[in-house]
Amino acid sequence: MTNIRRHERTLLLIAGVIMLNGILAVSLTLGSVDYNIIGTTCGLVISFIFVNALLHKAGHAGDPLLLPLAALLAGIGLTTILRLKPNLFLLQAMWIGIGLLCFLISAFIARRLEQIAKFKYVCGFIGISLLLSAILFGTDIGGNKNWVILGPIRFQPSEFAKMFIVLFLAAYLSERRELLTLATRHYGPLVLPHPRFIAPLIAVWGLGMMMFILQRDMGAALLYFGIAIIMTYMVSGRLSYIVIGLILFLIGSLLCYKLYSHIQTRVDIWLNPWADPNGNAYQIVQSLFAFGSGGIMGSGLTYGFPGMIPEVHTDFIFSAIGEEMGLMVAGAVIIIYIIMVYRAFRAALLSTMPFSILVAGGLSASMALQIFLIIGGVTKFFPLTGITLPFISYGGSSIVANFILLGMLFAISEVRSYDAK
Amino acid sequence: MMRNDMSDIVSNIRKVAFCLLGLLVILFIYLSYIQVVESNFLVSHPLNRRNAESTRHVKNGMIVDKNGEKLAYSEKSRDGFKRQYPYGSITANVVGYDSYQYGKTGIESTFNTYLTGMNNPLRHLGAISHLWSDLPGNNVLLTLDAKLQETAYRELGENRGAIVVMVPRTGAILAMVSKPSFNPNTLDSQWESISTASNSPLLNRAVQGLYPPGSIIKVMMADAALTENIVDLKTTINCDGALKVPPDYILAESGLKAHGRVNLEEALAVSCNVTFGSLALRLGGGKMAKTFDRYGFKLPVGEELQEAKLRLPDFNSLGNGDLAQVGIGQGSLLVTPLRMAMLASAFANKGKIIKPNIVTKITDSDGNVIKEFMPEEWITPTSPQLADAIKEMMVTVVNDGTGNGAYLSGTRVAGKTGTAENPHGASHAWFIGFAPADNPEVAIAVIVENAGSGGSIAAPIAGRILAKALH
Repeated sequence: MTNIRRHERTLLLIAGVIMLNGILAVSLTLGSVDYNIIGTTCGLVISFIFVNALLHKAGHAGDPLLLPLAALLAGIGLTTILRLKPNLFLLQAMWIGIGLLCFLISAFIARRLEQIAKFKYVCGFIGISLLLSAILFGTDIGGNKNWVILGPIRFQPSEFAKMFIVLFLAAYLSERRELLTLATRHYGPLVLPHPRFIAPLIAVWGLGMMMFILQRDMGAALLYFGIAIIMTYMVSGRLSYIVIGLILFLIGSLLCYKLYSHIQTRVDIWLNPWADPNGNAYQIVQSLFAFGSGGIMGSGLTYGFPGMIPEVHTDFIFSAIGEEMGLMVAGAVIIIYIIMVYRAFRAALLSTMPFSILVAGGLSASMALQIFLIIGGVTKFFPLTGITLPFISYGGSSIVANFILLGMLFAISEVRSYDAK
Repeated sequence: MMRNDMSDIVSNIRKVAFCLLGLLVILFIYLSYIQVVESNFLVSHPLNRRNAESTRHVKNGMIVDKNGEKLAYSEKSRDGFKRQYPYGSITANVVGYDSYQYGKTGIESTFNTYLTGMNNPLRHLGAISHLWSDLPGNNVLLTLDAKLQETAYRELGENRGAIVVMVPRTGAILAMVSKPSFNPNTLDSQWESISTASNSPLLNRAVQGLYPPGSIIKVMMADAALTENIVDLKTTINCDGALKVPPDYILAESGLKAHGRVNLEEALAVSCNVTFGSLALRLGGGKMAKTFDRYGFKLPVGEELQEAKLRLPDFNSLGNGDLAQVGIGQGSLLVTPLRMAMLASAFANKGKIIKPNIVTKITDSDGNVIKEFMPEEWITPTSPQLADAIKEMMVTVVNDGTGNGAYLSGTRVAGKTGTAENPHGASHAWFIGFAPADNPEVAIAVIVENAGSGGSIAAPIAGRILAKALH
């Protein structure tokens, strides 16, 4: 057990060296070394090691890869943000610090995950209220209409709603799993589940559509809808759910495409960005130029022109990484995500309780979907959707929510002696 | 029951995991594709301002003529470097311009990667390349002769038109003039008027201008008639001033002048439309198409010259009247002045055309040669015997025929005039030729737009430029 934490500490140290190296490289090319920035970075590295020590003390046997991978991503993100928007560096570092604290809390709470299952309706209620709050009271900040302002605090509820929705679906579905697999109704050739069991699916679909239409938030809509379908499939093993889900989504999307011009433009931009490279497709075309100009080795930090892409520090941060650090780092980032998602699924598979399996499976799936949507979006593999890149994009909500999510996965990944029968 | 159920969930999750991880792996492959395979396309895309931005503070290399005369160089200015063009509008169309705002053209554009030093392999090293601080760009050495270019430019006067002078033996372009031109030194401030002017000064007419060749194409027709054995050197054709082409087309001589019975040489000397119209009819669509293929009218001459695509008629569906028209260089046939200089070169160079070239060498800022361009044989449209026969006819054109304006005392000049009718007003005056006929050193094509007859307008200009080039 101590062995695991020692490995984790070594990996954290390596991630810390990479983070410091990046920060120093940017500081040096900018011409002035700001000791505040170096100090803050060192502080962050020490915090990561400190968290490791606390976990060791508590005898936690969670997956030793998850935290170092997050540290590595956070380091690449911080380096890029220092290069793009130096005045946001300290804020982002603070959010990572807070995220780390939330990781610890989440990791310890989630050790008693089974008890959370009892509060599934509370979770569902919180998740849906968070989403509704964004839909009803959403304010437009920087082009995204998914911010909620509560007095001095402003945050993006859709980042947090994710884990509550996953918890709710996991509890709801794991309790009813036999019924979901067995109870079906035959409508002619169609075998459909009992309406009672697809009710939550329909609810999430409805919410997704509302986000789609009212907030223009195609990314979040796709994400929530995808999570609902995938988790239903995990429990039932029936492809028909996925097919029904996709049909429902296609119908919804087609309606939106016909009815709303902004959805049409998005899809048209994706199909042919070169038709209007200086107008609607400007952002995605600039993003492609950034990747192309970066090539394999990149232009070198601070030697590229990522500033030509609007919103580069949030949605398009991956393009900046691709331009200045090339395929070497952009590809490495995808590989880091692949390892992280793999370890997250592994945690699900090693778990023994249906509820925690589903929670971990749902969280892993949501993480993978989110990464796919945003990286696929900025590389024009998929229509662009405005969601953040976990652990890298600038933004408190995104950083904190992802650290909480990671804490839950970390707790589930712990192979506890009393489970290992 | 419970156990089974659990293992079901686990296997379902495993499937989901494989699918989602598979998606991310596909994403990784796709990203590699963009950053490795698509990279060149994206880097050199005209809308990508990154290259212009990153080379703004690089001292671009010089463009110099064959004698080391500077045609373009960079000078340090307040923000970065400013491009200077000592010859201004004289070399503007061939050398091009380099404007931060409006992009690049000509040699500045086609040799951009060398001039900016972007070809330097060190640049692919990413961050490491910055260890070598600012690498200056490379110099581009042209085949152009600035003095001859200046002469040709002045010879065109206030007319619209183009002149191409090249060495038949090597394909080296000595002068390439297009008028009207513009001043590349003040392009940014005059962009509005230059880019919208109705006489298109930005168009390099020498390679981008498409004109009917008129009678200059008859040298090729003469070669075709001999190659296909339609006539021999002694055969005569009767010209009564007009060629009746059934059912109802009449191809007339200018002023309905009857040339009487003429052989090929005499017909070329007087530029007899009846003879060449009937030769085209005797050759027929198939052999005419073959002739144009043989002379490379469907082959591009290489990217560095940015030549416009020539327009050829569809010989299969051509009526007899139209076929006779093509035989005298009219109809839907459109060519560039560069091509016509190359056509003259074929007869000057024993039937061989060398690929036209304008760059001899690329050197780095210390003068070391990075790349050298050697003359490349392009096509051999005709035999040395026939080429020499046509050459003698072309000498007769200048000595005793329509091309007399290009006559030089002491040097035998070969040539052919053309007066191309066009829908834009008065005829275009053409002349192609080379000198000295016995050992050709330079070939030339001159076109003066809407200026009148080739013999009276283009031939004298060509004569003076040939004299200057040979002097």
